[in-house]
Amino acid sequence: MEMVIRLSDWLYLMLNGIAGRSWLLDTLISLPLDNNLVKAGPIGACFVYAWWSGGGEADTRRRRATLLVTVASLLLVLATTKTLAHQSLQPRPFVHAQQAWHLEGGKLVETPRLAYRQPLNGNVRSRYEALKRGEIEQNDLVSFPSDHAGFFFALSLGIFLAAWRAGAIALAWTAVAILLPRIVTGMHSPLDIVAGAAIGTVGLLALQLVARHTRHWALEPLAGWTLRHEALAAALLFFVAFESTNVLTNVRDLAGTGQDIVGHVAGR
Amino acid sequence: MRAAVALFLALALGGCGPLDQQAVVLALEPGWSAEVAASDADGFGSPDGLLWTDGWLYVADEGGSALRAWRPGMRATTLADASAGLASPEDLVRDAAGNIYFTDDSRGGLWRTDRLGRTTAVVAPGEGLKSSEGLALSPDGDLIVGDAPGHRVLKVSPAGKVSVLIGADSGIAKPESFAFDAHGNLYIADNHDKILYLRTADGRLHRLIADRAGFSPESLRFAGRALFITDSDHGKLLRYTPEDGLEVVALFGGRLANVQGIAADDRGHLYVSVQSDLLGRKGYILRLYRRTSRV
Repeated sequence: MEMVIRLSDWLYLMLNGIAGRSWLLDTLISLPLDNNLVKAGPIGACFVYAWWSGGGEADTRRRRATLLVTVASLLLVLATTKTLAHQSLQPRPFVHAQQAWHLEGGKLVETPRLAYRQPLNGNVRSRYEALKRGEIEQNDLVSFPSDHAGFFFALSLGIFLAAWRAGAIALAWTAVAILLPRIVTGMHSPLDIVAGAAIGTVGLLALQLVARHTRHWALEPLAGWTLRHEALAAALLFFVAFESTNVLTNVRDLAGTGQDIVGHVAGR
Repeated sequence: MRAAVALFLALALGGCGPLDQQAVVLALEPGWSAEVAASDADGFGSPDGLLWTDGWLYVADEGGSALRAWRPGMRATTLADASAGLASPEDLVRDAAGNIYFTDDSRGGLWRTDRLGRTTAVVAPGEGLKSSEGLALSPDGDLIVGDAPGHRVLKVSPAGKVSVLIGADSGIAKPESFAFDAHGNLYIADNHDKILYLRTADGRLHRLIADRAGFSPESLRFAGRALFITDSDHGKLLRYTPEDGLEVVALFGGRLANVQGIAADDRGHLYVSVQSDLLGRKGYILRLYRRTSRV
């Protein structure tokens, strides 16, 4: 494991070495982190393309079944990455640039510091500045595994299984535009990204495998329903594409509000 | 598929890591060192208020319902515990005669444990002090006590005579902690409204730091000319001086995030108590110091 971490750190240092040299380059690299349209717009477009691109009814039904399971797997993947992240306190690389200690065997042990080149523009630059002023988002202490890697890798791979051309574009966009900038700017180490992508892959494939057993009584009837009710299905598709741009943030916020309402009604 | 599932499980287990590692301290100024001075393994429950005097660290052990005394390299000595009626000791001071006075936010009242270990009420909970919070010894030798439900700051003479120093009309919601500077000015931490007050020696009350995002003062302690402040809401150790204003010294995360009391020893080393699990009686006392010079 130590060798994997060393390799990850070496890769991170190499990639983060790009940052902090050119305002224009840093602005372009930060764009997918700061702008949801740039980050996930192309992925949403690939998803919609895959939804409509079937060669005939049977092909469209198969593609839609795959995409429906993909959407369900996103919840599983996100729940897994979030749960694991909160079990393991792994600060982001730009936080690791500070002098830090962690508990080990009941003692505080100084954590090896990572060098960090601060981007010249973008949200991560602001977060790093805020950290130096003593303001930190709790999210910045739990970076392993990357939920973005899990979410977008599962989504892109699901699109790939449904329509390989659109999926290849989505996978390439995920790798180059979504995940690589997260390493360059110090939001994640390569290990965070690989772990997230692995969880995304396993989560998606496992659910696709399980879903095969429900093909006759659930999956195909559901896919058939989307064909019979195209307008309503398209309306629902809008929600899926919309939420895919922000890693289900609105859905999660809504769940939190629901919890608050239940608590309020129950008098807690 | 089996290999993928195995990788998934390996990553999941690897990600969990040993529970002991789920804690982090970040120093935001160069030159600091941090270490665990003591923990629940040294005979504490979950510590709150701290006081350093004469080479001993006195601890209001809120989780363990006890008063303890500890010095480096030793196990904690219990001075008083639940058998004497302690419930949630909050803050403490020691007078020149060696009596320890402490507040109790569950039981209320102001209490004294003398050198022989006898614990008596200086102000009983029934005398209008249902939940007591901050505690300080004034330059005149009076005890300054935070009355949380009454939103008041009381002055109690060593004989037990109670008077109101700052009334409920002042706007202080919860007087959680106090510290006197060398000029007799009183700093007051209100961790309900998240305000640091200053009551100058002439009796005027000022809102020194208010409406500051990410600031909720928990405990106050002077070390040299600097006022050090813990913030349990945000896991911070801060420093205030009139010249430099408020600065964050360190951040605490995970099991070390709930920083509570603070004390400074003769060398300027800071001791910070951490309640990792109040009900489970788990906690730490951390020591932070500058490697190069005094704080």
